[in-house]
Order: sequence, then C-alpha cells, then structure tokens
Amino acid sequence: MIREFGALTLNGFREARRNRVSVVVAVFTLGLLLSSTLVTDVTVYTFQRVLADVGLGAMAVTLVLLAIFLSSGLLTREIERRTIFLVVSKPVSRALFIVGRLAGNMLTLAVLLLAMSVVFFTQEALYGMAVTRPQVVAAGMLWVELLVISSVGFAMSSFASQLVSAVVTTGVYFAGHLSADIYNLASRSESGLIQWVGKGVYYVLPNLARLNFRPQASYEVVTPAMDILQSAAYGIGYAGVMVALAVFIFSRRDFK
Amino acid sequence: MSSSLPIEVRGLAKTYRLGFWMNRQVRALQGLDLEVQPGQVYGLLGPNGAGKSTTIKILMNLVQASEGTARLFGLPPTDEEARRQVGFLPENPAPYEYLTGAEFVTLAGKLAGMSGHELDQRVKEVIGMVEMERAAKLQIRRYSKGMIQRISLAQAIVNRPKLLILDEPTSGLDPVGRRQVRDLILAERQRGTTILFCTHIISDVEALCERVVVLVGGRRVREGSVRELLSGQAPVVEMTVEGLSLGQLQGFGHELTYAQDFGDRVLLRTGDQAAQLLLQQTLQAGGRVTQVQPTRYSLEDLFLDALKEARHGTVGGEIS
Repeated sequence: MIREFGALTLNGFREARRNRVSVVVAVFTLGLLLSSTLVTDVTVYTFQRVLADVGLGAMAVTLVLLAIFLSSGLLTREIERRTIFLVVSKPVSRALFIVGRLAGNMLTLAVLLLAMSVVFFTQEALYGMAVTRPQVVAAGMLWVELLVISSVGFAMSSFASQLVSAVVTTGVYFAGHLSADIYNLASRSESGLIQWVGKGVYYVLPNLARLNFRPQASYEVVTPAMDILQSAAYGIGYAGVMVALAVFIFSRRDFK
Repeated sequence: MSSSLPIEVRGLAKTYRLGFWMNRQVRALQGLDLEVQPGQVYGLLGPNGAGKSTTIKILMNLVQASEGTARLFGLPPTDEEARRQVGFLPENPAPYEYLTGAEFVTLAGKLAGMSGHELDQRVKEVIGMVEMERAAKLQIRRYSKGMIQRISLAQAIVNRPKLLILDEPTSGLDPVGRRQVRDLILAERQRGTTILFCTHIISDVEALCERVVVLVGGRRVREGSVRELLSGQAPVVEMTVEGLSLGQLQGFGHELTYAQDFGDRVLLRTGDQAAQLLLQQTLQAGGRVTQVQPTRYSLEDLFLDALKEARHGTVGGEIS
C-alpha cells in the first residue's frame, strides 16, 4: 500500500511540476517577493514589518490560489478526461487514490513554499535582518492552511464540477477567515435563530484565522508552542474530516 | 460459486438515474449471466448501448451493479486482490498526457504492486511488445490515437495478468495496428491468459474468440461457442439474376433473407433448398442467372439476426 501511495503522490507532484500554471505561479511569486524591495525603498521606519507583510502576503495569496486551482478540478478532470479508468481499475482503493493525489498536491505546495521561503529569508538576510521565529511559524502554518483549502477543494471536486468547486472553495477561504467574526456578530443578535445559524456556520466553516500567523510575524509576536500545535492539530483534523467526506462520496460514484 | 472462474456473473443489472432530479432511469443491463472459463477468449458483442461497456465497468469496479453479482476469480470486483490479477484496457483510453509512455507504463506497474529491477525490465519488454520503443520517452500528449491505444495496451499487460479485459482494443487503429493488436491478444492467449474482449468489429471477434455472447438492449440474446452458433445455421445461397424484376422473383413465393434490385440485376440470398427451385423458376421465366454462390453464415449474420429477433433499436438501453 505504501508503494502505491508513493507512486500516486509522486505522480501528482510530477503532474503539478509539469503544469504550466504551477510554473507561472512560482515565477510570479518569486518576482513579487523580489519586488518587495521596491516597497521597502519608500519605507522609513517599519522596514522589516513591510518586508514581512509583503513577502508572506505574496506567498499566501499565490499559494492559496494555486491550491484552489490544483485541488478543485483534480477529481473532476480525472473523471471527465477518463484518466481515472486506468487508475481505479488497478488494485488501489479509491480512498488511497484520494489521499495519494492530495499528498501529491501538498508535496507540490510544500516544495513551492520552501523555495519561496528560502528566497524570502535570503532577501531578509541581504538587508541585514534576522529571520525571526514568528516568520518561520507563519510560513509553516501557511502549509496547514493550504492543506485545509486543498481538502475542501477535494471534497467539492468529488461530486461537483470544476467551476462550482473553485467558486465554493474560494468562498470557503474568505468565509473561513471571517468565521470568528460571523460567530461574534451572531452571538450579539437577540434572535435565537440568528445565534444558532451563526454558531452553525462557525462550526462548519474552517476557522482559517486560527491558522493565520502572518500578523504575529509582522509584529514579531512570539506565540506559545502549545497554541501553534493546537492550531496545527485543528487544521489537520479539519482536513481529515474533509478528506473522509471526499472518500465517502467518491467511493460511491459511478464512472460512466 | 466456484472461485476458479476468472469471471462469473449472475443476474447482473444496472440502472442509471439521469436528470436533475434523478427521476429518469436507463436500464443499461438486465439480468445478465456470464461464465468465462480459464484460458478462454470470450467476446462481448452488441450494438451501441447494448450494455457491453457497463458489464466491463462493473467488473472493473468503475460502476456499481444495481442487482446481481459479479465475481473475478471468486472475489467481488471491489476487492483489490481480485483486480491485482486483471489487466484492463478501457474504450478510448486516456492516459496521463503529461507523462511519457515509459513513465505511464511504470506507474501502472507500480499501482499493480511491481517494483525495482523486475518492473524496469518488464516495462521495457511490454513497450517492445507494442512496438513503442522509439516513442517511449515522448510525452503522451504528442501521441497519435494509435500510439495511445498501444501504450494503454502495454499498461494493461505490464503486470502479467491472468485475466485481460479489453474494451474495443482495435478501435482507432489502422489495419497494421489492428493486426498487431490481434497478434498480441493471440500471444496472450498462448500464454494462458483469459481474455474478455468487447467490440462491435465482428471480424475481430470471429478471428479471436472461442465463445461469444450477444447483448442487445442490456439483455443476453445469444451465447455459445462461435463454432456452435455458426454451425447450427442452414446454408445460404447468394444469386444474381438478370432479366427479371425483384417483384417477379418475389412472386415465386420463396423466403428471401436479402434482396436488392439494382435495375439491371437483382441480388438475393435465400436458403439452400429454395435456391434450387428459384434457379429453375428463374430460367423458365426467361431470366438469366449470372452468379450462384453458397455463402457461409457469418457472425455478422448471426449478430444481425439476433438484433432483429430482439426487436430492439440499435442504440441505448430501456428508458423509463
């Protein structure tokens, strides 16, 4: 099973590597990271904060868009192009197929994140600034955020079209960053129904604000290790539920 | 159920639900029984929408049966151990275009549980068997349809399967490619591989299969060995007559299995005994018989007769 899982993962990585969109996104982000030099030229006092803001922000936006692109259409594309016939007919369970393909996507995103982080930290070093622990934590937790987004994309892709999956996953990304605000707003309402709906939305949507450590990186706020671990566990747990949902739906599908 | 049979199907049925509310039903397969013995080359024959591909998809765990059971070596198709012994070539195969041919066959081997030197050697071997050595390092997106068919066939046999399921394996191939695929199938049969072969190219079935089932509208209408099915039929004679019209010939009262009036001549087919009488009557009526040729009852005739008997349209299953 491990051999088959490895084959699926590496194949997913190879697919993303040979996909022109991934290459364009990687080049674009590296350009964006380097362009932060221009922003810092007009900054007087908060040089390091702006560099961290622009650098980590550029990485987050482009990688989230890439994660949505790679995940939301993957299963649909496999079914529509009928490439799935040649894989699912092999002695590989559909669950392993989903997990292997997701692992391939996450490996691609991890490699890109690592490359971007190296460029970002090198850039900081060239300006004579130290790489801080909150920045490393922010970059690491961005991968967990990408995992959550990718798993939502996979769950959607297991039954919906590429367009619907992409739109819903993008919506979940934005709503996920606002889910705590939705909960707070709803709890202030006097209507029991609104309170109940607000709570429901909060528990169903991923709380992506909990995985966003970029503000702490900008302001160099050190987060306790336990908080980081709890947030990572939450993100991985949420992704696990989404993958289980994708497997449940995908295992029952007919490929006509 | 015997666990030694490569394929055993009992009362297999599949109903697809279509439409936004899933309220339209298409019965693609109805109560199919099938047994394929070890080492047999078994043909699934039928017009479009007869249920051939649905049967194969159920066997390959791509579609779930609505009723009945399907077994591969005594195991349900959902069991990975059952599929480990099977090689599959789908209709119009679509391999990953970003991979090279060699990478794709290697991936197929890995997913079938192969690895290391054995896999590398086998990949080279099967690529050689389908004569794709020169294109093995080219990305599949650059392949022609025939090349895709060959490389997909290579992935189907990479794991030395005991059972090979081929859905339209010669479609899209030129005559040379078709001959090569047929030779490859014959070589697999020599090796003792059981082959389930689905096509509507009847000459391929006649050349390759020992046993055949004809499906029409999701139902089995004929089943048996090719020899049995063809030998049981009365001989047919084809005649070309000049100087008499089709109406005059029909007026002799014999049953004509085929008749075509070309204006200057009439081409007709009839049974052996009727042909003797028709020949005499034609000559007496002043007609000229320019050709008399006994014709062998072919699988194509059997197929067309089966379609007529089933009184079913040639496309699609039953819709409700």
